[in-house]
Amino acid sequence: MTKMSFTIFYLSRESNDWKKRNVYNVGNESIQGVDEMAVLVARKIRKTYGKRTLKQEVIKGIDLEVHEGEFVGIMGPSGSGKTTLLNVLCSIDFPTEGIVEINGKPLKKMKERDLAKFRREHLGFIFQEYNLLDTLTVKENILLPLSISKVPKKVAEKRLAMLVEYLGIADILNKYPNEISGGQKQRTSAARALIAEPSIVFADEPTGALDSKAATALLANLENINKERGATIMMVTHDPVAASFCSRVLFLKDGQIYTELYKGDKTRQAFFQDILNTQKVLGGDGYDIN
Amino acid sequence: MTLTSLVLRSMKKNVKHYYLYFFALIFSVTLCFSFVTIQYNPSVIEALEASGTATAGFESITYVLYFILIFFILYANQIFMKRRSKEIGLYQLIGMTKGFVFRLLLIENVVLFSLAAGIGMVLGFVASRFFAMILMKLMKNDAIVSLSFSMMAFSKSLIIFALLLAVVMIQIFIMIRKASLLSLFNAEKKADERVKKFSPFHMMMGIVGICLIAYGYYDSTRLFSVEGATTNNLLVNMLLILGSSILGTYLFFRYSVALIMNLIRKSKKGYLKITDVLGVTTIMHRMKGNASSLTLITVLTGLAVGIMTLSYISYYSSEADAKRLSPFDYILFDNKGIEFLNQLEAEGIEYEKTTFHLSMVNVKMSDLFNLDEKDAGYININQDAISPVVPLSDYKAINPEARLNDGETIITSYVDILSELLPLESGKKIRIHAGEKNYSLFIKDVREDEFFLSVLASASSPVLIVTDELFDEIQKNQNPEISTQIGINLVNEKDHEKAETLYKNLRERKIIEYDYQKTYKEYYDGNIALNGMTIFVTGFLGMAFLLTTGSILYFKQMGEAEDERESYTILRKIGFSNGELMRGIYVKQLFNFGMPLMIGLLHSYFAVKSGWWLFGSEMVTPMIIIILFYVSMYMVFGILSVFYYKKIVKEAL
Repeated sequence: MTKMSFTIFYLSRESNDWKKRNVYNVGNESIQGVDEMAVLVARKIRKTYGKRTLKQEVIKGIDLEVHEGEFVGIMGPSGSGKTTLLNVLCSIDFPTEGIVEINGKPLKKMKERDLAKFRREHLGFIFQEYNLLDTLTVKENILLPLSISKVPKKVAEKRLAMLVEYLGIADILNKYPNEISGGQKQRTSAARALIAEPSIVFADEPTGALDSKAATALLANLENINKERGATIMMVTHDPVAASFCSRVLFLKDGQIYTELYKGDKTRQAFFQDILNTQKVLGGDGYDIN
Repeated sequence: MTLTSLVLRSMKKNVKHYYLYFFALIFSVTLCFSFVTIQYNPSVIEALEASGTATAGFESITYVLYFILIFFILYANQIFMKRRSKEIGLYQLIGMTKGFVFRLLLIENVVLFSLAAGIGMVLGFVASRFFAMILMKLMKNDAIVSLSFSMMAFSKSLIIFALLLAVVMIQIFIMIRKASLLSLFNAEKKADERVKKFSPFHMMMGIVGICLIAYGYYDSTRLFSVEGATTNNLLVNMLLILGSSILGTYLFFRYSVALIMNLIRKSKKGYLKITDVLGVTTIMHRMKGNASSLTLITVLTGLAVGIMTLSYISYYSSEADAKRLSPFDYILFDNKGIEFLNQLEAEGIEYEKTTFHLSMVNVKMSDLFNLDEKDAGYININQDAISPVVPLSDYKAINPEARLNDGETIITSYVDILSELLPLESGKKIRIHAGEKNYSLFIKDVREDEFFLSVLASASSPVLIVTDELFDEIQKNQNPEISTQIGINLVNEKDHEKAETLYKNLRERKIIEYDYQKTYKEYYDGNIALNGMTIFVTGFLGMAFLLTTGSILYFKQMGEAEDERESYTILRKIGFSNGELMRGIYVKQLFNFGMPLMIGLLHSYFAVKSGWWLFGSEMVTPMIIIILFYVSMYMVFGILSVFYYKKIVKEAL
């Protein structure tokens, strides 16, 4: 089974840090940041697992930029390193080599505590397994990331109202996760990912556990939020339909970026065809197409 | 592959699943074997016989111990089996029959039990000497305890253990019989049902729970009051209190806690702090599944602390009690055995002597106590009480400040079971009569904590102090059995041994008034031996309670930590740090360990308070010591479980 990750980058309005440029040294090269509008920048990322004798390189040098307001999809066959890449980009894991910068802030230098705070304030997450706490109601789950932040209740209430409106979950706010459908759960976790107005939202296979109707609804919601609210999203997915909602799709193969497609002015249908064609070229073998 | 090799192989691979259960087994054997061994230790038997204390107490407590251990092992086994339900399901999925799986588990348990019995008996053997030494120390017996192996203890423990194995296998058999494949695969998940909505019924039950506990406490304070004891049957009342506190505790955990937690979370209107998420909401949702075990732990804690405190009160009061029975080192009546004094002088032993003249009068009960006939119930207030009287001039040896006018009296030495039930009041008149003559006396003062008459002279009645003139008059009309008491205190501690021999010699020759007249030291030694054994036995039991309840809580928390691992992953991913999560977990642990402890201690406090004076003369100090001891031991388990959580949280991301 392949996992696709779906990353949403959503530029934080308060933060202008990303405008500063950072210079790093990787090996012998010095790497220069970064295009002004990039929310996320990854340079020369490598990720190796295992010990000396059994080394396995999962990511073999990836450069990547995600700009404000983009909806980026990452596709690739099983074992191409999609989820590893997403974990590295979203600070849950660290690259063996290379730099990840979000809003101009290098993740590597942060301590555990600062990193946690950074994730809470600047990043949003949606995972395949809904990842809701089943002891909390939908509303409590959504508001969780704000629990330590200084966002005033009035503002939070406004954002909550707006998000649940967008996602169509306004009438289940006081229910527990075990009382609602899978699609509603995933929309709840999308609301949670967006409530802190993060710079970027990472989504790992968000439609993986949904039926096609619920999946389409969720993707349409995300697309909406991306277009109207300018939310930056990065999504890993193996589903070409899901990927067709993106504005740009990266294809991974063997730990490297194989190619990328832009949607441009194309219709979703046409973009979908392009994606399918690219998959064919990539070699459909490793794909698990539903 | 044979069945046995399959079992051994799977055991080797799953060591980390087994260690908990294995620990519980070893612990039980150690406790059981050491306790039985003590009973067969020659030094202990000798000491017990010497002090005239029966070993019957030991015997009966052994059965209670077995009962606790069986319960504990069954509980541990249940947790253990639940964790392995997937494995058992898998065996059946690949085509093993239930019978085959049962045989597999049988072999496994035989191996575990044998190993545990081996290790536990070695540990128990060593521990038994340590425990026996504590027992001797408590009995203030200087005998040296030898390490002795008893075949009886060995075979007895083996039989118990075999029985335990049989019970465990029956439990496993029933579990396998009942379980469907599907439920085996989901057993870990369905552990605790979630609370959904709070109905008015829940709310009501929550309030009822608190009320029941309050009623139990209230009733316990009047359990031994005259009104309480007389209007109802004592036993019925005790059962009522016990029932209402236990049921109240259950309802409290089952409904009240969730109710309170829900109110807290509701008040936050959705904006939960991380401590609320990990503390308040998880506690609330788990209450349904945890209520019964928390109730059990609370009750056991209350019981353990209660019995330990009561026996410690007795132990602690050994000296005071002996002092009450014999306020002087030696006591002589009516100058019989006065040779004792000459002998002491001959031996060059210094002593101090205090003489009291005494007589007896009849006192109207209805005057002493403020009772009308209806309240008094079984006490016949129209009866007379017989009280000793002592002249003021003699009493001045005890209380030099005492003054009396004509027609006045001081009542003293009134601390006993009765003084709790029927307090005396000063400032009123009582009627007494001696022979044919009647007197009316005004109670000037009631003094409780003075004792100077031997129990043989006072018969535990309060003593009336009267003016010398009145005493002379009374004495003319009354011919009491004992008319003087000489109290003798030795000046030097070192002379005791010699004096003791002299006294006993006289007593054997029937020169002293009564042949059952004991010296202070005899009373004291008797008390210490009896109370020492009692506190040892109850302490042992209390420890067993403590260790089992602590372990059960710890096991439970381990399970909860595993269940919540996923939540920790989510929370860490969305940006909560280790430290923030741990803060919520501290709250949860404080609740899970603190709540049963607090309520259990409260239960025991009220239980002890209602009847402690039956056991001794001092409550606060023994109680505080026992509670401090218990809490500090108990905290170890709390800390262990916090460490476990720490590990899980750290691994979560």
